[in-house]
Amino acid sequence: MRRVLSFFGAPGVMLARTVRAGTREGVPLREVLAQVHELGGRSVWLVTSGMAFFGAVLVMIANAQAKKLIGNVAVLGPAYFEMLVRELGPAVSALLTAARAGASHSAELATMSVNEQVEALEMSAGDPYADLVAPRVVAGVVGVPLLGVLGTLAATASAVLVASLALGIDGRAFMDARYVDGWDLLVGGLKVLGCGLYIPLAAAVAGLKARGGAEAVGHATTEGVVAASLGCLLIDLTVSLAFQFVRL
Amino acid sequence: MASPVSTAALAWLGRSAMRAVGGVGALALVAGRTAWGLRRLERRELARGLVQFGYESLPLATATAALAGVIVVVQAVLYIQRFGARAFLGWAAGYGVLWEFGPLLLGLIMSARIGARNAAELATLKVGGQIEGLRGIGLDPFALLVAPRVVAMEVSMLALSTFTFLVAILCEAVAAKLTLDLPVRVFFGTFADLLSPSDILGGVLKTGAFGLAISLVSTAVGLRAKGGARAVGEAAASAVVLGCAAIFLLDFLLTTVLSRWLS
Repeated sequence: MRRVLSFFGAPGVMLARTVRAGTREGVPLREVLAQVHELGGRSVWLVTSGMAFFGAVLVMIANAQAKKLIGNVAVLGPAYFEMLVRELGPAVSALLTAARAGASHSAELATMSVNEQVEALEMSAGDPYADLVAPRVVAGVVGVPLLGVLGTLAATASAVLVASLALGIDGRAFMDARYVDGWDLLVGGLKVLGCGLYIPLAAAVAGLKARGGAEAVGHATTEGVVAASLGCLLIDLTVSLAFQFVRL
Repeated sequence: MASPVSTAALAWLGRSAMRAVGGVGALALVAGRTAWGLRRLERRELARGLVQFGYESLPLATATAALAGVIVVVQAVLYIQRFGARAFLGWAAGYGVLWEFGPLLLGLIMSARIGARNAAELATLKVGGQIEGLRGIGLDPFALLVAPRVVAMEVSMLALSTFTFLVAILCEAVAAKLTLDLPVRVFFGTFADLLSPSDILGGVLKTGAFGLAISLVSTAVGLRAKGGARAVGEAAASAVVLGCAAIFLLDFLLTTVLSRWLS
């Protein structure tokens, strides 16, 4: 019970402290830019290539499903495209970013707390929440949605290619945007925003409480990545369920 | 006379190629030495690995599987209502979990949990000079540290895969009952009619391949760590990233090959 409470509570407390410190001290712009590069820029290759493979797999799965029931894979296309925009694009991109950025954030912050650099920052009148956590949170809120868009585009492009080259159907007709409406974009957008807010917070919670030696850094990294990935899945489910009940 | 830009580009290309070759070489070396070390496998390490990787991952794996099952059904409900294909939910959701979301999510979560931990532990040993120490007293670090981890990871992933698929499908049936009011009997009816044991085999094979990739990549990354405390965190992070990349690559290859071979 304590673990469940701290899983949900600690990031909330971290967010409140970060917002308070950020509004009081101001968020250093230079650090924000550096973090956008660290979280966003360095995840670009992982997200793009991962989502490209994922899009190709999606077409193969659709093909296998269609062969069994309908016999014509093109019928499934628009539904798969809507699912990609609404669910899989945001969720899988966010999961990949959680793996990449969650690990590097918590490793970095854990190294800093283990080497007592966080205390040193406090001694020199800095605020770790405003100087370390706030820029990462801003970078997450900006970066993860952009990565989500990029990942969805990569998955769509590779799905179109695989559909036309490997399955011999018109790829552009397969990835038809007939069913995509504003609601789908809203659901996808909320998911990436929520994940972008949550990933840096979970990583910061795990990283800043690390105490001990090098082993604590590894432990904090594991904890940060697991919390970030599981949190992203939970956010996806919450948003999906909420909209399910609103629309029904 | 080459311009500075093209020289820089060539240098970058060369460095990237060298890094890729070095990475593949390290991976092959770890795989080979592990296979060689299998005969002198350290039993106690293996038991510890089985407890750590398998038993202690149970809560996380179960939670992930339950979430995946519910997400698949909640998402499918949209199309079910649009196409009016309520009865086929059992088949479609089961197929999605067995082939795609079960193995993929289990692989990503285990890469985060076990891959990071393996790399961090081995990197700590490497940075502290303890691996050299083992070699110094005539012990093979691969038989002692790497092979037990690889075997334990493989066994754990195979055991977890069947268990988590079961959890995910049970959660799907419950979620379908709650959201669509679909009787559990109908759900399992199409599930049993349209799915064959080979579909389950496909998911288990994929999960096994992911487990092998995670353990090999993470141990190789951990053993290559150089430097101080910072290198430990970096090794943990890059083990997760490379593990995820390997999982996506394998996912694509195996889906293409297995769906042709098993159907």
